[in-house]
Formats: sequence, C-alpha cells, structure tokens
Amino acid sequence: MKEATLFPLAFIVYIISAILYFASNFTRRDKLAIFASRLALFGFLAHSLALILRTIETSHAPFTNMYESLSFFAWSTVLALLIIEKKFRIYRLSAYLMLIVIALVALASSPLMPKEATPLVPALQSYWLWLHVSVTLLGEAFFAIAFIASILYLFAERKQKQSEQVSLALNPEKLDSLSYRAVAIGFPLFTLGGLVFGMVWANVAWGSYWSWDPKEVWSLITWFVFALYLHTRLVMGWKGRRSALIAIVGFLAALFTYFGVNYLISGLHSYA
Amino acid sequence: MSPVVRFFTSVKVAITLIIIIAIASIIGTLIPQGRSHQEYLLHYGQLAYLLEKLQLTRLYHSFWYLALLFLFSLNLIICTVVRLRPKLKRALRPFLDFKASDLMALHFHHQFNLNLPLASVQQRAKEILKDHHYHFLEKNDAKGVKIAARKRILGIFGSDIVHLAILIILAGGLLSGLGSFRTDLALHQKQIAAVPQADFSLRLDSFETEFYPNGQVKDWKSTLTVLEKDKEILSKTIEVNHPLNYRGFMFYQSAYGWDWDQASLEILIKQPGGQAEEKVVKIKVGEKMVLENGIEIEALRFLPDFVLDENRQPSTRSLEPNNPAALVKITRSGESLFSGWLFGRFPDFSSLHPGKSSALNLELKGYAGSQYSVIHVARDPGTRLIWVGCFLIMLGLGLAFYWPTYEIRIWLQEELGKTTIVAGGLANKNRENFAKELETIISFLRKKK
Repeated sequence: MKEATLFPLAFIVYIISAILYFASNFTRRDKLAIFASRLALFGFLAHSLALILRTIETSHAPFTNMYESLSFFAWSTVLALLIIEKKFRIYRLSAYLMLIVIALVALASSPLMPKEATPLVPALQSYWLWLHVSVTLLGEAFFAIAFIASILYLFAERKQKQSEQVSLALNPEKLDSLSYRAVAIGFPLFTLGGLVFGMVWANVAWGSYWSWDPKEVWSLITWFVFALYLHTRLVMGWKGRRSALIAIVGFLAALFTYFGVNYLISGLHSYA
Repeated sequence: MSPVVRFFTSVKVAITLIIIIAIASIIGTLIPQGRSHQEYLLHYGQLAYLLEKLQLTRLYHSFWYLALLFLFSLNLIICTVVRLRPKLKRALRPFLDFKASDLMALHFHHQFNLNLPLASVQQRAKEILKDHHYHFLEKNDAKGVKIAARKRILGIFGSDIVHLAILIILAGGLLSGLGSFRTDLALHQKQIAAVPQADFSLRLDSFETEFYPNGQVKDWKSTLTVLEKDKEILSKTIEVNHPLNYRGFMFYQSAYGWDWDQASLEILIKQPGGQAEEKVVKIKVGEKMVLENGIEIEALRFLPDFVLDENRQPSTRSLEPNNPAALVKITRSGESLFSGWLFGRFPDFSSLHPGKSSALNLELKGYAGSQYSVIHVARDPGTRLIWVGCFLIMLGLGLAFYWPTYEIRIWLQEELGKTTIVAGGLANKNRENFAKELETIISFLRKKK
C-alpha cells in the first residue's frame, strides 16, 4: 500500500459516503446515513494510513506544504464529523460537511498543489510543527461544523417561519445548540494550537512571540469573531439567526487565515 | 458608580471595541507595514502622505491603535471586576437562606411528598449527593432542613480567568514594547563580541551549514561560548528553532553570510614552453607577492558569483560561491605578463582568452572566504508574562467550557410523619447533562425502600 493509492481511495470513499448521506437526507432513511457514516469511517482509516505512510516516507509531519496541509485539514474535518455524529447522534449535517471534505481533498489532488515531498527548511524542523498545525486545524474543523450547522439553521428557520413542516433532525433549536457545542470545542483548540502554540513556536524560531505578521493578525481576528459569538450568546443572550451569522463569519475568517493570507498577502508565514 | 465606570461595564461597549480593533487590524494586513517612505510613494503616490500621517503604515504601534487596546483593557478590567463580586459571594458564602418558593422559581425544580420521616430523607439526600461528588452544607431549624449542595464551583470563574489572562498578555505586550532589546551580531569563527547591554561576551567557536543530499540547506549551526570576564561559562550549539537562553538573553541562529573581501586564493601558475614549470601560489586578495623568479603577482579582487552587470562591469550576483572569479595581475620587472579574471569553474578560460600576454597559464585552484554567522540577540522582559497569560487562558477556557458548576438546593419539611421535599437546581453550562443528573438524584430520593 502506498500513499498514492490510499489517498485517492479515501477520496472515492468520501464521495460515495457523501452521496449516501444526501440520499439519506432526501429519503429520510436513517439506515442509509448509518451506512454512509461507516463508509466515512472507512475512508477516514484509509486516509489516516495515507498520512502515516506520508510521514514515514518524508520523515516529517504531514503538513509542511499546501497539499499536505489540505489533506490533513480534510482528515481533521472527517474526524470532527465522526466525533459529532457519535456524541450527538446527528447525521443530517454530515452530507454538507462531506462536501467541504471533498472540496479540500479535490483541491489537494489538483495539479495546482505540488505533491512531491521536499526536505524541511530549517525553520520548520521543530516538534512545534506537529502541535501547532494539528491542533489548529482540528479546531478549525470544529468551526467548519459550526458553519454548516449555522447555514442549515438559517434554512430551517426560514422553513419554520413559512410554517412548513420541519423534520426533527433539522430542528432549528437543535442546530443552534449544535453550532454552539462545536464552537465550545473548536474555540479552546484554536486558541491552544493557533495562538498559544503559535506564539511559543514563533518565539523559538523567529525570536519573537508576536510579529504582527498578517497570518498572526488574521488568526487573532478569527479569535475575536468567535469571542464575539460567545459573548453575544452567553452574556447578551443572542441565539439563533444572529448567532448563526457570527459563526459563519468566524469560519470564513478562519478559512481566510488558512488560505487567503498565503495567496493574497505576503508575510513571514509563507510555508502553508 | 460613576457614569464613566458604568459606561465601561457594558458588554456592548466591549463588543463595539472588539469590532473596531478587528477592523483596524484587518486594515493593517492590507497595507504593508513598516516599509520605507520611498516604497509607499511608489505604491500609493500622494496617498502615501495621508497613510503615514494617520500612522496606517505602522498601524499596530500607532498611538490610536494602542489607545484602542488601552480602552479595551479598561473595559475588560471593569467588566470583570463588576461581575466578579457576586460570583465571589456565591462561591465563598453558600446560600442557605432560601424559601421553598425560591426553589420553585429556579429553572430546574421538583416538589413531592414522601411517606418517610425527615431524618431518613435527609440521610438519603446526603448519600446521593455524596455519590455524585457534591459538597454541601446543611441547616436545621424549627421549620425544617435546608441543604445547599454544589460541585465544580471553580467553573464559574473560567471566564474571569480568561479575562485576567488577556490582561496579563496585554501587559506582557506592553512590557515587550517598552523594555525589549534586540540586535544582530555578525560573528566570524573565533571572534568574540561583547553582548550589548549585558556584562558578558559571546564567542563563536564554529559555524557550519548542513545540507540534505539534494543540496538543499538542512540547518545552520553555531557553537557559542558565553564568556564572563574572559572565563568560559558555558557552550552550546544553537540552530534554527534551538536558541540559547542565558541570563534573560536569547540568542537565535538568524542568518549567515560570506565575507569575501579578504578571501584566500590558490593560484596555479604554469609556464609553458621547454620544461613546463608549475607552481601553486597562496595569496590573499589585496596582497602582492614576489616569487623567486622575479615574477610579481597581485590579487586585486575576488567575486564569488561573477556576472557582468548592466554597464558590462564585473559584479557579483550573490554572496554564494557559484561562479568564483579572481582578478589577478602578474608582472616581471614592470612588464605585464597577465592581467585578467580567472574563473574557478572554467579553468581553461584564461588560456583561451589570453589577453595581452600568453606567456603564462593561470588557474584559480582554490578560494576560501570567511563565513560569518548572524546571531539575533533578544532580551524581552514581556515574554514571561505572555507564558503565564497563555497558561491561564487555557486554564480559564477549560474551566469555562468543561468544568460546569452545578448547584442543588433542597428544602425538607416534616408533617405528621410525611416529608415534603422541594429541590431546585442551577447549572451555568451543560444544562441537559445537569437535568439528567438532577433527575437521577430525585428518583433516588423518591425510591420506595
């Protein structure tokens, strides 16, 4: 088995799993969703093995260029999805989350992303690479869940307003609470991985814990958006629509920190 | 409460400030920061003056950005202190002064009667609360028994600890901004340099570059020795990601460079004709030597990466020895025998392009510049506060999200061998879980023996 076969295998399994999730959503057959979830788990295991093989082959953490980091982000998102499914027994979001996963894997597989493993530049040779990137991306994966839950909330709320029948799984209140739960997991992870580990590593590698580098600033902005989400919700009692909008903006800010800054703004943080 | 303080207790003010700071920060990522005036003029034209006037070109250190951070800190302090008072009261003085009607007003409440004497219900209640790890206080009086139980009380302070952590981080940032000292030291091997603002020196014992098999740089390593009054204190090899920390100073491997101004050269001189005579001459750039046969050799210049610039003048593309070339002049009793460039990579060049004289064949056999290591020196008194803040922020987030405080208050009253039980519950987070736990506790109390 090689990474080059396992990664496309995971890709195909994710696609089939997404189709089944959607089929389950439309036919309202839960058994299909459970089967889709099994498939997602299988894809996840293949993907995990691909990442392990990549690590062995390159002898460094599997997120040092855009291809690797996209693959790892997709992996984290599937992990977050499986955790949320297990914990809250909700399958309706998975179809849409799988779309994000497929988009990430497709982007990673595209010819735009060079796949050859290159030796690590000196600045990346640190165990902080493992901690900083993996924890941050896992946190962002939970933001992705809050994002999907919030978008679904907006649709569900509109349906409910038009007094249409809303299925129990798409109950707006449940989606609203799920979005909060996802932020409650994602926010501490993002703070730890993105900001705390980021500062510790910057201090060791660049000689200063904070340099106002665009990527640093954008991760701070992302953090601010989710801090707003929590304060408006917990102190001012905002719920539902307004909360959902902030969570959506928060995930978009996280995405911009992840991609946008690399391609649109130049800075110190030019690895991935 | 003064109106100013009242203004800053508002969460709305906090939210407004966060939004303004976020927008300001975004602007700072869109305008390149800290460039030269010329660059801004080139890029923005006349707008550059306005940008500089508004300090948008050094936004994060501008007066107004710092003022925003100051207002934010003030807001954070006042908000936290105002909210802390009732929380401390709640934590330090458990509330036993409740009436049955107070409990029924709580979000979670239960009321029922049992055909049991009060004492046994009380016993049962204590047992089940203990099983669920609650701490509790009891108060017996003529009217009945009150039990106030709670667990994980620290959870209510999670957000305050996060706020404190942010203040500590901001204080650390301020301390870094005011009190940090940074400089770069360029050290040649064996060179000793006094560390500025410190009473010790640093010696570079060795510097080396490691390469991967494909030629890519793997690491730069400098072996440093700390000297105090000429006494060796300690030695450490630093590399990227592994700085040396000594008495509040951090020494980072930051860069390296080549010094070619005094490069040592090895030049092979061949005299063609009858009996070929070969001789290797070692000479430094800028030196002149007279050989035994009356030949005078002078090394005028060395370029590590020879290229002709736009004016067709010899120049160097980089400081890496990619295309080493030496300008050499050879004379014998005033008569020029050779004058031109020798190329390390193209040994035949001088014989193919003999110039004025072909009396000699020359080759640049060897060259050695001295490599120096650039050590970034930083003394940043704010760093420690930052780590304290980082630790506290994670502790606070953990408490706030995953250490939910549960409180249960029970009121018991006996009448004719029957006991009336009123129970109320409070949870700051994780309410569904708490509801389940309260359910379990109540059903245990209700259980018929």
